[in-house]
Amino acid sequence: MKQKSISLITIFALFLAGAFMPSILKQYHLNMLTEIIIFSLYAVSYNLLLGYAGLLSFGHAAFFGLGAFATAVAITHIPGISLWNVILIGIAATLIAGFVLGGLLLRHKGSYFALLTLAFNALFYAVATKWHSVTGGDDGLSITRPDLNLGFTSIPLNSLTNFYYLTLVIMGAAIVFCWYFTHTAMGKTVLLMRENEDRMKFLGYNTNISRLILFTFTGVIAGFAGVFYTFHFQFVSISAISIDMTTAVLLMVFVGGKKTFWGPILGAFVYIILQNYLSNITDRWPLVMGVIFIIMVLYAPGGLSELIINIKQRFFGKKNNNGDKSATPEEVTS
Amino acid sequence: MSDYLHIQDIHKDFSGLKVLTGVEFKVKQNERHAVIGPNGAGKTTLFNIISGKFKPSSGAILFKGEDISGKPSHVLNRHGLSRSFQITNVFQELSVFDNILSGVRSCYGLRYHFFKKPNHNRSICEKVETILKEVGLTDVQDQPANSLSYGQQRAMEIGITLSTEPELILLDEPTAGMTREETDQAIKMIDKVTAGRTLIVIEHDMEVVFSLADTISVLHYGTILVSDTPEKIRNDQRVKDAYLGEG
Ligand SMILES: Nc1ncnc2c1ncn2[C@@H]1O[C@H](COP(=O)(O)OP(=O)(O)O)[C@@H](O)[C@H]1O
Ligand SMILES: [Mg+2]
Repeated sequence: MKQKSISLITIFALFLAGAFMPSILKQYHLNMLTEIIIFSLYAVSYNLLLGYAGLLSFGHAAFFGLGAFATAVAITHIPGISLWNVILIGIAATLIAGFVLGGLLLRHKGSYFALLTLAFNALFYAVATKWHSVTGGDDGLSITRPDLNLGFTSIPLNSLTNFYYLTLVIMGAAIVFCWYFTHTAMGKTVLLMRENEDRMKFLGYNTNISRLILFTFTGVIAGFAGVFYTFHFQFVSISAISIDMTTAVLLMVFVGGKKTFWGPILGAFVYIILQNYLSNITDRWPLVMGVIFIIMVLYAPGGLSELIINIKQRFFGKKNNNGDKSATPEEVTS
Repeated sequence: MSDYLHIQDIHKDFSGLKVLTGVEFKVKQNERHAVIGPNGAGKTTLFNIISGKFKPSSGAILFKGEDISGKPSHVLNRHGLSRSFQITNVFQELSVFDNILSGVRSCYGLRYHFFKKPNHNRSICEKVETILKEVGLTDVQDQPANSLSYGQQRAMEIGITLSTEPELILLDEPTAGMTREETDQAIKMIDKVTAGRTLIVIEHDMEVVFSLADTISVLHYGTILVSDTPEKIRNDQRVKDAYLGEG
């Protein structure tokens, strides 16, 4: 299992590198890196739907936003709530939403599925906007991060460095779990869904259950990222649950490439960095992003990850197996 | 004594188009049963109904005494029924090994597991390897399915069908589009891998049908014209008039 140990070493090296970042980066950049890690998880969860299962959803922000709002609402309305309980509430909320929405969407495929997810996202957005007394409506909600209670000690999270470490460990662990998931029986079942849902049925798979599990799982992961989004900004506005947030994740996944596991992480890096620099230069940065998106879809549909793999193959020959390329061959050749 | 499989007065309309109008025949356990009939007779439709892809408009399918008509395909598969497709229907971008694995692990209950690997235990891999060997695809097991030749794809179609350890196997034109030699080879393989199981096969090649089958059912204009041994079928005047006479 050479491939496996290379992957594990890569994961370890990334965490180690992450651990040194606070001593290397300025606050501004550490802040940006925190945001990147959170969005990486969001993008990875979306790619499990789009790249792995071949399901195009326009409603992923509903889960992300639900996790984000559940966090802000819980902290606002339950004084003294612990960090862990906030996370639990965020996960519970998205779990229930995933289950209910997944159940309603099960029988719909392709463009119907995509449109219905869009409609649900719009519904969630409308609720967030109108339910002013709970969500703050257009004004949003400001919160302060609760301290991290580890039982024997309590770590204040108002310091950016501390919060960065928490994000690195927890969001990082969630990303690793998603990666592990792609190698499990259910993870491989997801590929069968993409390849041939019809044939699966004749092999004993209940495709409705497969879809429901995947939809709920990816929803919970997106919601988990949403929880940390609110922690990070200590503020949540309706933009967290808007269609823009769905567009953002689509962009990250497309730019990074949906054929590999790590592509969307790369996409999150590029997206957040570009967004930060472009928004300093011009208010019209979404326009620039849109142009980049169009260029990518037209000329590099496999995204940056495919470009990188192609370049690597050109220079190092065909047989090169980098540890980063932890996705198995069938996932790469989507 | 109840029969192993009893197709009972099956009707099927597609929005007015009456494709099956009272199909009736029985299959004994461990029998090799061939279904023949001209193109468009409704053979595939019949398989679609037995395997749960379609619900019949009326009628019943008794499998070991229980009416299974209208049950979903995945449930039927878990009852021991598996089918192949006339048009190759596999997981094109997955490796040959993973194609077979998909059925084997399903049979071991590893469908939606979040922690266990798909090839969780040794016996799963061994089972996949056995099937690969039986259908002659060991050499190409790591290649993606879409890189295989037509003959190999057909072999894989059968391999996947076998992968859930079925007791009742339905093969829809397994040799369609093959050359004479390929057909002979495929039939030898099918004969071997289906030993000890019940087989229903749709087949066009009369030579194949007469050599392989214990019983032949002739489907004509939506009903079974006759269901009998190969010798009886060969000499049946109705069959000669309706079907064999053409060729
Ligand atoms: N899903 C369907 N909807 C409408 N008509 C169908 C469908 N499936 C099959 N048919 C029709 O039923 C008839 C029998 O088809 P089929 O069962 O494929 O025949 P065979 O396999 O014997 O060649 C054909 O006329 C075909 O057009
Ligand atoms: Mg047919």
